[in-house]
Amino acid sequence: MSTPAITIENLTKEFKNPALFSGGKILAVKDLSFNVEAGTVYGLLGPNGSGKSTTMKIVLGLVTPTSGRTLIFGRDSRDVESRESVGLLPENPYFYKFLTGQETLHFYGKLCGMGGKMLRERAKELLALVGLEEAAHRRVGGYSKGMLQRIGLAQAMVQDPRLLVLDEPTAGVDPAGSRQICDLILKLKEREVTVLLCSHLLSMVQEICDRIGIMHRGELVREGKLEDLIAIESQTELVLENASPALLAEIRAKVGASGARLVAEQKPQQNLERYFLDVTKDSPK
Amino acid sequence: MTAASSPSAISQASAHKLFSWRRASAIAGTTFRDLVRQKVFYFMLVFAAIIIGLSLVLVNLSFRGQLQAVMDVSLGAISVFTLLLAILSTAVLLPRDLEERTLYTILAKPVSRFEYLLGKLWGVGIMLFVATALMTALLSIVLYAWQGKEVSNIMANVEVEKVPQAIAHLKASTFTWKLFAGIGILFLRAMVCAAFTLMISSFATSWLFTVVASFMGVLIGHLVPIARAVWLEPMQYGVEVSWYLTAFLRFVILFPDMQMFNLVDSIAVGDQVPWADFGSAVGMGCGYLAVYTLVAWLFFAWKEL
Amino acid sequence: MKGRILGLLVLLLWGIAKMPLETRIAETRREQQLGTYKILSNVRQQLGQAGFLAVFGGLRSAIADLVFIGAHVQWEKAKYGKVKEYFDICTSLQPRCPLYWDMASWHMAYNAAAYVDMRDKTITDPLERAREIHNYWKLGEDYLLNGIKNNPEDWGLWDNLGLLYREKFHDNLKAARAYGEAAKRPGRLDYVHRFEAIYLADAPGYEKEAYDKLLAIYKEGDSQQLPTVLKKLQLMERKLGIPKDQRVDIPPKYRLPPE
Repeated sequence: MSTPAITIENLTKEFKNPALFSGGKILAVKDLSFNVEAGTVYGLLGPNGSGKSTTMKIVLGLVTPTSGRTLIFGRDSRDVESRESVGLLPENPYFYKFLTGQETLHFYGKLCGMGGKMLRERAKELLALVGLEEAAHRRVGGYSKGMLQRIGLAQAMVQDPRLLVLDEPTAGVDPAGSRQICDLILKLKEREVTVLLCSHLLSMVQEICDRIGIMHRGELVREGKLEDLIAIESQTELVLENASPALLAEIRAKVGASGARLVAEQKPQQNLERYFLDVTKDSPK
Repeated sequence: MTAASSPSAISQASAHKLFSWRRASAIAGTTFRDLVRQKVFYFMLVFAAIIIGLSLVLVNLSFRGQLQAVMDVSLGAISVFTLLLAILSTAVLLPRDLEERTLYTILAKPVSRFEYLLGKLWGVGIMLFVATALMTALLSIVLYAWQGKEVSNIMANVEVEKVPQAIAHLKASTFTWKLFAGIGILFLRAMVCAAFTLMISSFATSWLFTVVASFMGVLIGHLVPIARAVWLEPMQYGVEVSWYLTAFLRFVILFPDMQMFNLVDSIAVGDQVPWADFGSAVGMGCGYLAVYTLVAWLFFAWKEL
Repeated sequence: MKGRILGLLVLLLWGIAKMPLETRIAETRREQQLGTYKILSNVRQQLGQAGFLAVFGGLRSAIADLVFIGAHVQWEKAKYGKVKEYFDICTSLQPRCPLYWDMASWHMAYNAAAYVDMRDKTITDPLERAREIHNYWKLGEDYLLNGIKNNPEDWGLWDNLGLLYREKFHDNLKAARAYGEAAKRPGRLDYVHRFEAIYLADAPGYEKEAYDKLLAIYKEGDSQQLPTVLKKLQLMERKLGIPKDQRVDIPPKYRLPPE
């Protein structure tokens, strides 16, 4: 069995409450335990204030846990070395405004020990990948929100990490861009890159995640395979194409006779996103 | 968007080093670029240039030792502006990275907090070096201009057979290696102040507190010689020793002795400062730099981000 | 918390460790008379808050220069009380600048004394006037003596002290001794060692010593056989009763009238 990409064991994090002089504490994460298997896409969900960001920061070694531990590919995440194989795209990423897109990638590449021709080629490749070739020599200070997300994604991937942590990767990105990011994540999954995804865009999570964990008030309230969690066990969905009215009548009769209940009968709807993309694909620029 | 084919060698490019000059220098480079594009950097250089240039005007107003007037004002400008630049530049580095969350993306890479701090300090050091070099170059131009004027005076007023000796003496008094070494010590002092400021900003919650505390620290540093003298020989100063005075004096003495780095005052009046004194200033300066950087790391290492 | 405690501990240990080092460096510099200064109790009042801070901000010398210019401005207004205050400040901020001591002495012993003598209408009693003039001479002398204490290698201050003794105090012995000290310092001009001998010759009871010095100067060669030296040498020869065959050969135009 391969080493999980992320191992979280009995993780607890308390913060001092600055509003309370008597030494009150805020419990941000309570006894959290789960694994993210290598090569999978894991969605960490939860309302605002549920402890997702704190968990992510602890996994990345930015915050020290009160108790418990987190491992990245078997290595304690407090070790700087563990971050050799991690790339982070934070929520609302911000980079040095005075650097160009290309210089930003060079900077982060150097932080990962890269340099010279290898780094230059890698930066070029990533700029092409995220669609920022034409903006490569523009200062990041002049980038739009969507462009910032793209350059953020590029810097997260600069050292070709085995684990990507993406916090709201599609925030501020148009549907076309979001689609591209989703497709990219799926391609990364094919290359056995592990992705830890935090997103409020549940449709995207539903489409690309293998497993999800739902946090609420610092605790993991649900965790498991996506299809298992959201399946309605007592119901079965059939989608028929070119079914004749007679066939439909026969099915209704059989359902009625068996004691089962026909819950709904309707024309399936296409995905709004797909509809939007189809409509806007040929729009004049 | 197409999937990138990335060389598999990238992720195994090299084994992780506990400390990497490349990582620290990458941070130093961006810090330097960030600092020199700030308008305050150029304003300060312009003010310093004005003051150094004004020293030539002062020379015309004052009937006294002209070389000393030029030296005192110009070196005073270098002294003040390097201190200002050191404190103001360093104070904003950490708070800004934290506020804009650039810090997260940097520390999410395999960069230790020590490398990050060292890179920041290194970047400030490069900026201070450039600023000091520019001001020194300007001072050299001013001194050269003044020297030219004085050579004309000598040729007009001094007996012919004494002219070569007088000119040689003039040149030897104007440009000395010790003058530039003294300016080098001022640069070192500015670096000590930068490290002190970095140490404070590593635990402070606002850059304003850092600036105020750093300036207070520098001011107290200039009072250290007096505090030390009073502590060692209170009777000579007519001071009655009490427990709170002793505690206060001991607290003051913990600060860096800024006067120790002020060799230019003596150089300006023509004192022959032994090279050993430069050595002792450099030694203590390096000691302060190392200690403040270490303490900054200790404060920062466990900081919740 | 762990990091803060460790950090504070390191700072404390460093503070304790560096104290003897810095004390030793400060003592060495004091012996070399480098960077020493004394802050008078009224300097904060005189300089104002900003100036006081600037002194401790490392602008000590620059502030001393500005105060020196201020002293000159007060002199132009003949406000000698202010002149003295300003010079007290700049000599305490930068005691290693002989010029400050020199100018302070000149303003007190010559300008202030002359002002009292000729223009100060507030003093009507001649005895009081004389006393005031003498006090200013003494102030000038004190500035030079303090300047010498802080700048022991400077010959100019001794030279000006000699001038002050001979011009104002009319004390030829003290003047000679001052010129003698100046003559021992590096960089001094030629005349000081001649002046030592010349004014010693005018001090009663020191004729033998003066004669020895004048003779030594005479023997240095033509460049030192200046009229005053020759005149004083002849006088000493006469006073000491040096036999005529042992007296030096004086050119006719510098010979004194026969006894």
